[in-house]
Amino acid sequence: MSSAHALPAPPLQRPRVLMVGTAFMAAASIMAIVGMLGVYLAQRADFLSSGSVWLPTGASVPLQQPNTMMITLIMSVITMQWAVNAISRNDRGHAYMALGLTLVLGAATIVMTSYLFTLMELDISSGLQGVLIFSITGAHLLMLIVAMIFVALMAFRALGGQFAARQHDGISAAALYWDAMVAVYSILWFSIYITK
Amino acid sequence: MVRSDVCRPECGCSNEVPSNMALTDTRTESGTEATEAAHSAVPAPVSLLGSGDHKALGLVYVVAALLFGAVGWIISALIGAHSLGSGTFLSESTADGFLSGSRIGLVLLVGVPVMLGLATYIVPLQVGANTVAFPRAAAAALWTWVLSGGLLIVANAIDGGLDGGRERAVDLGLLAIAGLCVALVLGAVCVITTAIALRTPGMRLDRVPLFTWAFIVGGSVWVLTLPILLGNVVLIYVDHHYGAGTSFGSAGSQWAQVSWIASQPQVYALLIPVLGLVADVIATIAGVRQPNRNVLLVGIGAFGVLSIGAWAQTAFYPEARNEPLWAGMVLLIVLPTLAVAGGVGAVLRSGKPPIKSPFLLSIVALLFVLLAVLVGALAVLTPLELRDSSAFNTGQFAAVLAAVIAGAAAGVTYWAPKMTGRIGTDAPAKLNVLVILGGGALASLPLLVLGFSSRFTVLADAGDALEVVAILGDGLLALGVILTLLTLLAATRGTPAGEDPWGTGQSLEWACASPPPLANFGELPAIVSPQPLLDAADSSKGA
Repeated sequence: MSSAHALPAPPLQRPRVLMVGTAFMAAASIMAIVGMLGVYLAQRADFLSSGSVWLPTGASVPLQQPNTMMITLIMSVITMQWAVNAISRNDRGHAYMALGLTLVLGAATIVMTSYLFTLMELDISSGLQGVLIFSITGAHLLMLIVAMIFVALMAFRALGGQFAARQHDGISAAALYWDAMVAVYSILWFSIYITK
Repeated sequence: MVRSDVCRPECGCSNEVPSNMALTDTRTESGTEATEAAHSAVPAPVSLLGSGDHKALGLVYVVAALLFGAVGWIISALIGAHSLGSGTFLSESTADGFLSGSRIGLVLLVGVPVMLGLATYIVPLQVGANTVAFPRAAAAALWTWVLSGGLLIVANAIDGGLDGGRERAVDLGLLAIAGLCVALVLGAVCVITTAIALRTPGMRLDRVPLFTWAFIVGGSVWVLTLPILLGNVVLIYVDHHYGAGTSFGSAGSQWAQVSWIASQPQVYALLIPVLGLVADVIATIAGVRQPNRNVLLVGIGAFGVLSIGAWAQTAFYPEARNEPLWAGMVLLIVLPTLAVAGGVGAVLRSGKPPIKSPFLLSIVALLFVLLAVLVGALAVLTPLELRDSSAFNTGQFAAVLAAVIAGAAAGVTYWAPKMTGRIGTDAPAKLNVLVILGGGALASLPLLVLGFSSRFTVLADAGDALEVVAILGDGLLALGVILTLLTLLAATRGTPAGEDPWGTGQSLEWACASPPPLANFGELPAIVSPQPLLDAADSSKGA
C-alpha cells in the first residue's frame, strides 16, 4: 500500500452551515404562504357560512392546469433528488442532466401558471377573492423563481467543479428549498384549486 | 485554558468579503485570509459599506436602531399630545399614519434590530466562531433594513404609512415594511445559523451562553412570524395598489390587520433575547456560575413558544382573544418569566454583584419584563374589560419596549469595552438607569391604569392627566436611547480595556482582544462547560 493511501482523509469542511441556513429560509418562506393562506381560508369560510358563493360571477378556476403543474413539480422533486444522488456518487454527467431537467420543469410550471392566470377570468379589482388568489399564487411563483435561481447557481458551481461526493451541501441545500416549495404548492393545489 | 492561548490579536484579516465569495458562502474558519490590515472598532464609512465583518454590521444595527428609537418615541409623544382634549393636534390621516408608523417602527426599527445587532456582534464571539454565517447575506440584510427604515420614515412624513392619507406614500410605506421583514428575517437566519452550525468544538447546544440561547429561540420565533406580517402587507399592497382598495387595502382597516405584531402574545417575542441578556450580564457581574442553568434554558424556550401570536389576528378572527388558547398563552407565559427571575434571584443569593450600571440596567429590564407579563395576564379576567382597551394595550406595549430598551442599554454598557477596546466614564450609563426606569414607568403605568377606566369610570376623568404623564415618559425614553448612544461614545474616549475588562468574564467573547480582531479567535481548546473562562481560571488556581 502506498503511503498516500495510509494518510487519513482530510477533515470535512464544517458541515451543514448552508443546510441549516436554507432550512430556516425555507421555513420563513413557508410561513409567508401559510399566513396568507390562513387569511384566505378564514375569508372563504365567512363567505360560505353566510350562504354566498366564493368565486365572483364569471370567474372560474379550471383544474387541468393546476393538476398538470402538480405532476410537473412532483417530477421535478424526483429529478432534484436524482441530482443529489448523482453528485453523492461523483457522477457529474447525471448531476448536470438532473439539475437541467429540474430547471426545465420549473420553467414549465411558471409558463403554466401564467396561462392559468389568463384562463381564470378573475379580476384583481373584483374583490378580496382576486387579491387573495393572485397574492398567494404570485408569492409562490416568486419563491419558485428564487428556488430556480438557487438551483441554477448551484448547477453552475457544480459545473465549476465545486461539489463532490464528500462535499455536496450546495446541491442538497438547493434540493431542500426546492422540495419545500413543491410541498407549499401541494398545499395551495388542495386549498385553492381542489377545494375552491 | 489560559486566555492568551485563545486570543490571537495578530490574526487580523481583510475587512472586505472576498470577491470570489458567493452569498451562500461562509468564510473559512481557519483565518487563512489574514492580512496585515489594521482593524479598528469602528471601520471607516466607505469600507463599512463593503464589510462582511459581523462586528461592524452589529454596531451599525445598534446605532441605527437607537437613532430610530429616538424618533419613534418622539412620534409616540406627538400621538399622545394629539389624543389630549379634542384631538385636533394632527389631522386624522396623519394621526393614523403616525400611530401605525410608530408602533410598526418601534417593533421593526428598534425592538427587533437592536437585539439583532447585539446578537450579530456578540453571538459569533460567544460560540467561538471566526465569523457570522453568510457574511455577505448578513451585510445585504443590514443595508436593506437601513434603506427600508429610511423609506418608512419618509413615507410616514409625507402622510403615508398604514392608513395614511396619500395613496402613493401609503404604497411606499407598505413596500418599506415588506423590506424590513425580509431584511430582519435574513439577518436573524445568519445569526441563528452561526449559533447552530459554527460552534467551537465541545460547545454543545446546552452549553451556549444564555444570550446566544435566547437569540436562537427569539430569532426562530421572528423567522417564523415576521413572514406572516409580510403576507399581511402583501395582501394590503396588492389590493391598495393593483386592486379596488376596498378590502385589505381600504383606508382605516390596514393597521388593524397587522396590529397583532404589537399585541400580546406576539409582542412578547421582543423580550426573548432580553431574558438571556439579563441572565448573562447578572451572572457575569456577580462572578458566579448560573445555578439551575437548565431551568433557564427551558424557561427561555417555553417563553419563546408562548409568544408565537401570529395566529391571533383579530382583524380576520375576531374571537381570537376569547379563545382558551389565547388566555392559556397569556397566563402560562408568566411561569417561564418567573423561572428566569428565579434564576437571577439565585445568582444574587450566591454572589454579591457590585453595583455597576450593566447590572442595574439588567434589573430594570427584568422589572419591566415582569410588569408587562404580569399586567398582560390581567387581560384574561373578562370583568376588567381590558382586552379591547386601547389605553391598556398601549401601556403594555410601552412596558415591553421599555424592557427592550433597558436590555439594549444593559447590553451596550456591558459589551461597550469589548466593542470599543476602551472603558469610558460610567456617568451616562448611571444616569440612564434612572432615565429608563422613570421613562418606562411613566410611559406605561398611567396608560395601564387608564385601561381600567371602562370598569372604574372615575378614572376616565383623569384621562388627560394620565396621558400627559405618559407623554413625559415617552420623552424620557427618547432621552434614554440617546444616553445609550452616549455610553458607547464615552467608551471610545476611555482608557484601554483588556480582554476581560469586568474581570469576571465567563463566556468566550471575553477571551479575545478588545476590540476583537477580524477573525476573532485562533485555535480554541475544546469547551467542557458553559463557563469556559471560569474553567480556565479554576485550572490556573489548581495549578
